[in-house]
Amino acid sequence: MTYLRQLRAVIRKDLLQELRTKQRLATMGGFAVLVGVLFNYSIDQAIVAAQDIASGLIWMTLVFAGVMGVGRTFELEAEDGAFQGVLLSPIPRDALYLGKVVSNFVLVYLVVLLVLAVFGVFFQLDYGNHPFMLLAVLAVGALGFVALATLFGAVSSGTALGETLLPILVFPLLVPMVVYGASGTSRLLAGRPIAEVEGNLRMLAAFALVALFAGAGLFRFVVED
Amino acid sequence: MYKRTGWIGTATALLGVALSVLVLWMVFFWVPTEANQGVIQRIFYMHVPAAWVAFMAFGIVAFASAVYLWLGDERADMAAVAAAEGGIIFTGIVLLTGPLWGKIAWGTYWTWEPRLTLTLLLFFIYVGYFMVRAATENPEKGKRFAAVVGIVGALDIPLIHVSVLWFRSLHPEPVVLKAEGPTLDPDMLTTLLTGFLAFTVLFVGVLMLRYGLERAERELNLRQVTG
Amino acid sequence: MRSAAPDSSVGAASANPPPDPDAASAAPLRAVGLVRTFGAQRAVDGVSFTLESGRFLSLFGPNGAGKSTLLRLLSGALRPTAGELRLGPELLRTREPGWQHRIGVLSHQTFLYGHLTARENLRFFGDLYDLDDLEERIDAGLAAVDLVARGDDQVRTYSRGMRQRLALARTLLHDPDVVLLDEPFTGLDAHASAVLKGVLEALRDGRRTVVMVTHNLTEGLEMADIAAIQVRGRLAYWESAEGLEAAGFPGLYRETVEASA
Repeated sequence: MTYLRQLRAVIRKDLLQELRTKQRLATMGGFAVLVGVLFNYSIDQAIVAAQDIASGLIWMTLVFAGVMGVGRTFELEAEDGAFQGVLLSPIPRDALYLGKVVSNFVLVYLVVLLVLAVFGVFFQLDYGNHPFMLLAVLAVGALGFVALATLFGAVSSGTALGETLLPILVFPLLVPMVVYGASGTSRLLAGRPIAEVEGNLRMLAAFALVALFAGAGLFRFVVED
Repeated sequence: MYKRTGWIGTATALLGVALSVLVLWMVFFWVPTEANQGVIQRIFYMHVPAAWVAFMAFGIVAFASAVYLWLGDERADMAAVAAAEGGIIFTGIVLLTGPLWGKIAWGTYWTWEPRLTLTLLLFFIYVGYFMVRAATENPEKGKRFAAVVGIVGALDIPLIHVSVLWFRSLHPEPVVLKAEGPTLDPDMLTTLLTGFLAFTVLFVGVLMLRYGLERAERELNLRQVTG
Repeated sequence: MRSAAPDSSVGAASANPPPDPDAASAAPLRAVGLVRTFGAQRAVDGVSFTLESGRFLSLFGPNGAGKSTLLRLLSGALRPTAGELRLGPELLRTREPGWQHRIGVLSHQTFLYGHLTARENLRFFGDLYDLDDLEERIDAGLAAVDLVARGDDQVRTYSRGMRQRLALARTLLHDPDVVLLDEPFTGLDAHASAVLKGVLEALRDGRRTVVMVTHNLTEGLEMADIAAIQVRGRLAYWESAEGLEAAGFPGLYRETVEASA
């Protein structure tokens, strides 16, 4: 009970903060839309169709925008030492981590939905096939991403390099997510049967689980002194 | 304690160097040329053992990191740094020899060959490991951050491995020649095994020397401040 | 290296029931051989003391003497390299809820979120401490620091003094036995520091033990039962403040620092 109350407090506080400032959603969302615009001009559609590479683009946008947004979470906490106050309280460190994962996931997934909507219009993508499977693949992938990025966001914000270190730490670890996520998405966009994507979803889930367990277990070593 | 480790470490490292020279001799003068690939195949006797050491070293890094976080024992952290420094060098050897071989065997310096890709990612994980250490003002924090990188890296490597293999199965490469023949000539096997032995011994020796150096350095730092 | 404290010696501490309040408040705060190193640097170097419950300790010292590190050790935020810390019979185990519930920290940073209202801030921290009757506590806390009227305004609209008052309400929300103050007067105007002083005076109800770290000799001495001076990680001076002449203290302070430096 105590655990759930503490967990809920962190989630509510983070979302409330974001609701008031809209800082991270605005930067992530703006970034994602502009990527779509630049992307449009970066390819010669006479040679390659945007639809053919859209799934890779969706995933890369998720990764870059996500790093931007999640990287900020601990900078926001540093405001007037608030995070020290949190660490002085009896909240278990894994509850703190999981709360941050949930609130970051909500933000990142909102951006994913925005990306799907905007890129769908920009590049005439067809989600008609298995829209729920597509949403599930992106949700599970985003969860794994957020689980790693939250842990390493805490690491990088503790270093002198700050957020700039985050991509260097997480990108090598994200390869499984990008491989299974992007290929699953392109299959769905190409109208392949759902059975061809189930394996991808399973691997994305395995990735997310490993990341969540590692993060929940190791977070306390990152934030404590 | 330091002196004894130092002596054994020096001896092991020297033995490793001697064995490596022996391997070089075997590679250049003794082992028969592989029929399909020709001379370039000889790089294989360095490449594969180096890759083995690179991954073994990361295993040590991850294990020592976990021990460090669990027990807070300074020695575990020193072992982890020492292994990481050795490991990144051997990772470098793999990444240098791989493309050299690839250029002749496959006609291109870089292919997304799964094992090579995995080694490249391992290299970047090692880079992250050293960067968090260097970029942290409080050394205790840097050690813990690095340990977290090491442990998560080790947990992720099997998943990366599976995913890059799977990725390749989707994109078959224009491989003309297979890397390994169906059967390895006994002399080739002997050379390869000697290569494994030489690099492993060399790595262990360097690890011990580096550990001793790290230890001496930390003791010196401590003495300067308190003395 | 973790704490060298023999964890097994106090079996009762792990169960840690909130005992009856009288027994708890009678508990002295005791440090034995506290050491904390950062890399090769010894920020706190063998500090031992016993502070009877209900006393107010003012801790002085030059920059870099390790005062804040000592305070963070007392708060449980920092793990000692060696030595141990007890509140009565209870042994400090870093980051155990039992200890965190009994300690409140007020620093020159407020530990508040600017984009949340005062009530939202207090509710957030109250949830983290899993407090019962949270809304009543919040009302009482806001009343005590005279912020009821502004309770639903975002904290970023507050003046420095108001924030510090709210920070005090946050510190006392879970009714800690030991209150740690880290340079609480820094950056406060005359009015705000008068209000803060008033509330700090109210802390001296004989039940709460207070440790205050400060540069300010006058303000520190005014409230202290005990004055201590930390130099280069060690306690160089520890005396009851009753016999101290306020006028003579700066000289005494200078001598102590110079003698130990």
